[in-house]
Parts: sequence; C-alpha cells; structure tokens
Amino acid sequence: MSELASIVLRSIVISGTATILASAWSIPLAYLLSGSYRLRHIAYLLEALVGIPTVLVGLLLYMLLSNAGPLGFLQLLYTPQAIITGEALLITPLITAVSYQTLKETRTKYTELALSLGATQQQVAGLVISQSLPSLLASIVMGYSRAIGELGVALIVGGNIKGLTRTITTSIALYTAMGEYENAIKLGLVLVVLTIGVSLLVRLVKRKWDID
Amino acid sequence: MNLQLKHIAIIAVLLIAIIASTTLVLNNNNTINVRATTTTSLYATGLLDYLGTEYHKQHTDTIINFIAVGSGEALKRAERGDACMVLVHAPSLEKEYIDKGIITYHKIFAYNYFIIVGPQDDPANISNATSLEDAMKRIYMAGEKGKALFISRGDNSGTHVKELQLWAQAGLDPQNKEWYLESGQGMGETLVIASEKHAYTLSDIGTYLKYKKDGRIPSLTILYSNDTALINIYSAYIVSSCPEQEKAKAQGFIDFLVSPEGQQLIANYGIDKYGQPLFYPAQDKLDELEEIWNQIAGNS
Repeated sequence: MSELASIVLRSIVISGTATILASAWSIPLAYLLSGSYRLRHIAYLLEALVGIPTVLVGLLLYMLLSNAGPLGFLQLLYTPQAIITGEALLITPLITAVSYQTLKETRTKYTELALSLGATQQQVAGLVISQSLPSLLASIVMGYSRAIGELGVALIVGGNIKGLTRTITTSIALYTAMGEYENAIKLGLVLVVLTIGVSLLVRLVKRKWDID
Repeated sequence: MNLQLKHIAIIAVLLIAIIASTTLVLNNNNTINVRATTTTSLYATGLLDYLGTEYHKQHTDTIINFIAVGSGEALKRAERGDACMVLVHAPSLEKEYIDKGIITYHKIFAYNYFIIVGPQDDPANISNATSLEDAMKRIYMAGEKGKALFISRGDNSGTHVKELQLWAQAGLDPQNKEWYLESGQGMGETLVIASEKHAYTLSDIGTYLKYKKDGRIPSLTILYSNDTALINIYSAYIVSSCPEQEKAKAQGFIDFLVSPEGQQLIANYGIDKYGQPLFYPAQDKLDELEEIWNQIAGNS
C-alpha cells in the first residue's frame, strides 16, 4: 500500500474509533442530562467546552501520558491509541451538547403524551431515541469531522511518526514545513472529500429513513 | 430490562472488538521502536527518514520513530523520559542536559553552516560586512533606521539559540524592537516569511537550499556565510532514563551514524537533487568540531 493511502486509512480508523468511543458515552450522557433539571448545568458546561482548543487537549494529555506524568506507565505516548483517546475526549462536549439539545426537544414533545397513553419508561426512552435518531446521527458526524480535521492532539501525543502515528493533518503540517505545498494541498483535498463524503452519506441514510 | 442489559452487553463487546482490532491494525508489535526526538532541520530535509530506512534494511528488528520538534523541545521531552535518542544542534543547551545527567553517549555526526540570508538589494549592506559581529551590527542599525526587518525563529530551536548568541556576541539586544519579528515556527516557514516580507534571517544551509531549489523563497539570497563562527554542529545522544532494550538499539543506530558507511550516506545525501551536499560528515574534522562544540557550549 502506498504511503499516502496508508496515511488516509490510518486517519479514518483513528478518528472513526474515536468517534465511536465518544458517541458510546456522550449520547447516553446526553440522554441522562436531558431528563434532569438539576443536571442542566453540566450540559451548559459541556456546551461551553465545544470549542476547546485542540492543542490544549493535546498538551494536557501529553502531560498525563508522558513518562514523567501520572499515566506514563501505560506507555501510550506516541501511539495511535493516544490520539484516539485525545480525539474522543475532544469531541465529547460537541456530541453531548448537540445530542442534548435534540433529545431535550423530543422529550418535551413526546414524554407526557406517551406516558398518558400508558407507555412504560423504557418505551418512552425508545420512542425519544428513535425520534431523535437523525439528529443524533448528525451530532456524531460533526464529532467525526472535528476529530479527523484536528491537528493539535495528533501532533503532540502522536508525534507524527512515519508509518505509526502520521495522520492526514500532521502530514499536511509536515509537507508545509518541508515546502512541499503540492502534496499538502492534495492531502487537504482528501480531507475535505472525506468530511463532505461522510456527511453526504448520512444525509442519504436520513432521507431513506424519512421515506420509510 | 433484560433486553436493555443485552443491548448494553452487545455494545460493550462491539467496543472491545473495535479497540482490539484497531490495536492490531495500527501497532507493529514484532519490532522494537526507538523513540528519537530530533530537530526539525534534520527531519524536514528528509535526511533522517533516509538514514532510518537504510538502517532498517540491515536491522529489520529495529524501527526508529522520529519525532521532529525543535532542539529545545527535543531535549525537554528527553528529560521527561519521552525519548530514547536525541538528535540536536544546540551545543549550549545540550551542555545543560549533559551536566544534569539526562543525556549521554555524545557523538557529533554531521555539520554544516548557518547562513544569514536576506533580500537581494541588501538594504543593511551585510554582504560587505568585515566580520560576523559587523554583519549583526549592520542589520541592527538598518533596522533602527526602518530600512530592514529581521525574522527570528523565536522557538528555542537550535537555530534560534544560535541567533541569540550572535546578537549577544555583537553586544546588541534586538528584543522588542519593531523591526525584530519572532515567527515561532520551523525554519522553512520562517524562510518563507522572510522572503515575503523582504527580511533578514538566520538559517541552516540545508533548509535554505531545499527551499531555494523548490522556488519557495525567490526574494532571498545568501548574504553572509563561510565563517567558522557559523558552523552548525549536529550531535546524537542516548537518554539515560531509556529502558535497556531500546537503549541498545538506539546505541546501534548512533554507531551506524558515525560509522564510515553512515558518514558516506550523510556526505552523499541531497547531491543528486540540490547539486551540493546538505550536510557534511563529521569524521574528516572531528577534533576541530569538538573544539568548536566546546567553545559554543562554554560561551553561554
């Protein structure tokens, strides 16, 4: 496999895994928050953290994972897993905040109605989730786009190691530093195609859903 | 409720499967990875990947993972135990870390020259400078008169450390001057900024030649060079805190760098593409280089 192809594939696997992980805890968390008036401040806090700088997340994670840091014994620094962890943390506020909004709206719309028709709590949960699904999917896609397009985490905890932690964005940074702008732009276009492609795909799935 | 538990169990199993499979896909477990933090100028010219690949051909059980950062950060990461080998070019900084016992096994493996580059019309007239100090003074004076700009790396890299030393030796302090700009970026980006703004800057010859050849910095030209005070010495070190197995491999790579074979590879690198070598092997004049290294390291 050519180096370029392996970089692209690695980026997709890393950000994809990060997105799946982040969704696995962000959406249940959003559901929990949307049902509780007391916990709304947590939702506001996460909303405020949506734009947290990627370099800051990268730096904090580096301090944690460094051999001189508290989690150094895990030997995760300069591994793809370190990037996955960082990106998953990075997009948690985004996925949670967006899911929270849509889940909350759906809840207000349907909960009382469903309960008055004799639905159980589980049935209500199922209804709310299934009604919010298209928007939840959109929040996941947003998370994925932010993960695959970020540079700070991948560069600082990944180290841009050839054949191991080099991703699309770190390659772009390296090619730019090497003055090889053509290659940098090529990879940039791949990145744009990847993010647009996924969101188009989701749009198609959504449309199919709405028709069914 | 049972149904929900089952769902959660399925999701958990899926997650574990995903993580396990990515671990298999992404990690290379059969070889020993040596973590090497290096200066950007060595990496961005492509020399290290070239040497690493040649070494891997002979020692298939070893992969050198190059992490390209500035010399300052490279040493800092070594101090935190996040590197096993360091390849840098900032003798005065290196000395500090040697004294602290963080790095050992010092080997000078290559050198080239720093050059002062600037706009072709040379408003500070440094191409007629009588000495390095005179050149720095001319830039300073022209800057004060508003006729010249100077771009500093400003990132604690080897080149930045050298530049600060040059100002200090000339008895000048350009900090906070309007004509003195800090880019905070790598050598390549800094050269591009200097070219765009018709400014002066200090560069290593390797990065300059690569960028010049690729046509990225049309307005820059070499204005002051060939001074032994501008010699740029690249050294390799082992980090003391490194685990034994990795350390042995790192040592193997450094021995390869200074071996006749490694030195030949360094001497020939880039000639086909740039018409002249980007780096010179250290073996021809090791004594002289060590003396200069000691001078630079001691002076600060």
